[in-house]
Amino acid sequence: MKSFEFFEPTTLAEASRLFAEEHAQLLAGGTDLVIGMKAYTETPQSVISLQRIPGLAGITTYGDSINIGAMTKVREVELSADVQQHHTALAEGASEIGSIQIRNLATIGGNIAHASPAADTVAGLLVADAQVDIASADGERSVPINELFTGPGQTVLAPGEIITRFRLPKPASGSHYIKHKIREVMDLAFIGVAAAVNLDNGTITDVRIGLAAVAPTPVRATEAENLLSGNAPTPELLEEAGEAAASGCSPISDLRCSAEHRREMVNILTKRTVQNALARASGE
Amino acid sequence: MSEYSVVGQKVKRVDAVEKVTGAAQYGADVHPPGMLYGKIVRSKHAHANIRSIDTSEAEKLPGVRAIITQDDVPSGRRVFATDKVLYLGEPLAAVAATDPDIAEEAAELIEIDYEVLPVVQDVMESIKPSAPRLHSDDTKDGPNRREITGQIRQLSRDKENDHSDEISKLEAELENYADEVYYNISAESHSEAGDVEKGFAECDVVVEDTYVIPRVHQTYMEPHVSVASADSSGKITVWASTQGPFAIRSGIAGTLGIPLTQINVIGTTMGGGFGGRFGVIITHVPAVLLSQKTGRPVRVQMTREEEFIDGRPAPGCVIKLKTGATKDGRILARQALAFWDSGSVSGASIGSTIRVRGVYKIPNLKIDAYGVHTNKSGTAAYRAPGAPQAIFAGESQLDEIAERIGMDPVKFRLMNMREEGDQVPAGGEEPKVGYKETLEAVADAAGWWDREAGENQGWGVAVGDWTNGCGPGGVYVSVHEDGSVRIFHGSMDITGTDTAISQIIAEILTVPYGSVTIRRGDTDSAPYSTGSGGSVVTFTMGNTAKLAAEDAHRRVLELASERLNTNVENLELKEGAVHVVSAEPPKSISLGELAAYSLSTTGGPIVGKGSFARQPSTPALAAQIAKVEVDPETGRTRVLKLVASQDVGFAINPMAVEGQIEGGTVQGYAWAMMEEMQYNENGNVNPGFVDYRVPTSADLPTVESVIVEVPAPNGPYGAKGVGEPPITPTLATMANAVKDAIGVRITELPIKPEKVVDALKSNGHSP
Repeated sequence: MKSFEFFEPTTLAEASRLFAEEHAQLLAGGTDLVIGMKAYTETPQSVISLQRIPGLAGITTYGDSINIGAMTKVREVELSADVQQHHTALAEGASEIGSIQIRNLATIGGNIAHASPAADTVAGLLVADAQVDIASADGERSVPINELFTGPGQTVLAPGEIITRFRLPKPASGSHYIKHKIREVMDLAFIGVAAAVNLDNGTITDVRIGLAAVAPTPVRATEAENLLSGNAPTPELLEEAGEAAASGCSPISDLRCSAEHRREMVNILTKRTVQNALARASGE
Repeated sequence: MSEYSVVGQKVKRVDAVEKVTGAAQYGADVHPPGMLYGKIVRSKHAHANIRSIDTSEAEKLPGVRAIITQDDVPSGRRVFATDKVLYLGEPLAAVAATDPDIAEEAAELIEIDYEVLPVVQDVMESIKPSAPRLHSDDTKDGPNRREITGQIRQLSRDKENDHSDEISKLEAELENYADEVYYNISAESHSEAGDVEKGFAECDVVVEDTYVIPRVHQTYMEPHVSVASADSSGKITVWASTQGPFAIRSGIAGTLGIPLTQINVIGTTMGGGFGGRFGVIITHVPAVLLSQKTGRPVRVQMTREEEFIDGRPAPGCVIKLKTGATKDGRILARQALAFWDSGSVSGASIGSTIRVRGVYKIPNLKIDAYGVHTNKSGTAAYRAPGAPQAIFAGESQLDEIAERIGMDPVKFRLMNMREEGDQVPAGGEEPKVGYKETLEAVADAAGWWDREAGENQGWGVAVGDWTNGCGPGGVYVSVHEDGSVRIFHGSMDITGTDTAISQIIAEILTVPYGSVTIRRGDTDSAPYSTGSGGSVVTFTMGNTAKLAAEDAHRRVLELASERLNTNVENLELKEGAVHVVSAEPPKSISLGELAAYSLSTTGGPIVGKGSFARQPSTPALAAQIAKVEVDPETGRTRVLKLVASQDVGFAINPMAVEGQIEGGTVQGYAWAMMEEMQYNENGNVNPGFVDYRVPTSADLPTVESVIVEVPAPNGPYGAKGVGEPPITPTLATMANAVKDAIGVRITELPIKPEKVVDALKSNGHSP
């Protein structure tokens, strides 16, 4: 790896100032950055660790609302009883990342800020309708998760801006995440699909569907959501929703699989994940 | 009760503690004082002319101690590419520096001017006249043209009769096969038994398919590494992670023109080999050259990415296979035309195409195999080289025949298997091998005869054969004054072979396994030993060890006869002491006492010598059954059960044998289901474990292994080589199980979800 300057600031303001410089990279868990540096695909001149800044890690619950600090380990997200109960899809997504050793290092903030369309926590955050809190030396702001990403590896974050927290205000009574992959564990998502629903007397009152690795950014399947919302789920309706999700996405072909296969799997897995979320919502 | 006390027992491996505690010294643990770090400079293109290599900027970098190119190879033997590169990652130069990062940076600073050329990666494209040519003089005729030109040649030789009409007819016929002129051919291999045309004509069912098997990497845990140190006298020491230190010694000597015994190769603990750890060019020769130039020890260690782009993996291939049988289940004819992807050089195991014959009585057989150049690195051995590919084709097609004639796949195989005394296609008679016993054992253990399958579940069976190799080896055995036994040899331990050698010597000298220790010498000190590959070690070194222990045993009895004043005929060695047979009162002397006594005798200490080169080996069979469940919507396959039996002759250490069966089966499963080196016009595109998938323990249930023992006449205690056979049938086992589950035949590996979904669609299944 190339030599670099290493900083361990203790305040967000200091970190933000350092991060605003050119060729600076943030170090959270390091599970993406260090690999990139070893492979010379990342050659930062300065690396700014977030480890010593207090208050960035941990999961706190206020009634139904859950806040997850950006420096929270993915393993903690996976094992949190509150996340498992209210945002099952997110806990399931977290459990799909790498190995346990990796999950004990990797942070949810890093998984999101890396802005891979295939990130395993992203579909769960999309269907949780998470708010992303961002800090910089100039102050704080907040964006909805579905407005964070602008392209592969690209976000709306300005130079010096650091993700501090994910706020998950709306619990879902049923949610589920499915990852299409070859290997049982330690595989990257060929595609990822999450669904979250609330039911009222057999009618879908809330529904959110998040898709990973089928477009330049993680996306919501809004057409499919609109078809389902306000209706009682039927097999025919689920079929339509699956097809709507598939035709609404824009996957690519790469060495893992073809765009056509990805699209077909969006159809199949949207049906399945909505069905599973519905089953959970109705206590099955 | 076994008639033996140490062999046949599940004893702990001799290297268990050092492996578990991390004390074992691997190649990367070697760090002589003053060591420099070497880095290979590699081509960034898959096919290009090299206009120039400019090292001037790199040389200026502080910490750089040497940069070498082909100009620095005094022997002139090709180590680095000069005017042309044939694959991404081909070595062009090497750097030695005081720090690995400096070496890396220097490698980046070397300016190489490329003229990029068109690339060919697919063997079926490469044989066409339109393909870019990698080497000159590479054109060969296909099977039909070969036959016709052979006939023409024969007729022309007959000077007494006029055959000009026949010849011109044949020449016209030759024109019909104009597309059978193959280009980019690196090697060819042909064999024939009986008459396939006649055979197929007598068949009720004939099936033809094309099977495509990908190139896969051995994925040993430890990447290639060597540390070389040339001293002022010119003596060269190489610490090498290799399966064959003696092969590395002769390889370096031959490549660099250095006298053989001026090189000492010290084999370090091996982090897996699987056949891929024999080559000298990859790291050993560059390390020696850099050390010679700098006068300092140099380590050259590959990264995982380098392993993928410039390792020597197993070749992929395309096999066109045709099999015919009668409706009552007799296989009458089989014909194969195979194209093996040998990469930029020759060397793919094309001769293994013959393994499509399996262990069956097939009277008519014709094999035509070609090695084909592509813009990839060369290939090497991988666990039963060539057999998994050929057997995948052969055993997949057998199931198709069985299905068409309505026969149970196990019964169909049992009915066609060769038996003791049958004529072997290659010549000679079939020895006693447990073909049927092994298949019956796996069928019984898996519950084949009353198997049940739920929706989308299926069962698959396949068998694969392999015969262990054999080679020279030498072993010394010393008995010490405390009664302990020490073994000395020069063969690399590969998955428990030192343990098997120790067990054999403990058995013969009747001492507890724990009082035997084993020491490995380097090539300066140890007697010659063949490389640890080809399942040779237990067969060769086991026989060698047995001879050494028997030699020591003779000396022990000789000494005891002196001490106990009786003829050796009246003596018996048991439980670590020599006893006078039926003496009353009992009379005996321990091995330790004899060893102490030996020091003051004319004959001297107890040293047994064993030296062995070859004896005919006996084939081994691996038979496997899998039960799978396929999700027809996503194409994902889950293995519910995997049972593997193997005729091992005799299991010297059943625990180690089970480990080999499980390991080989899992590697076969991986090749069937996920492993695949992918290439495009830029070269290998998945050079790492993110997109080159090897399975984890979560992917498979525990492999149930079943040991079958039909002794090999020349093996130690009847043992056969066990390492290679278990990988041979698994590719077909999985494909056959998937076919049984969902009714589609996957002929192109790996069986990825997308392929399953697409195959189901083209079979009329709506997703």
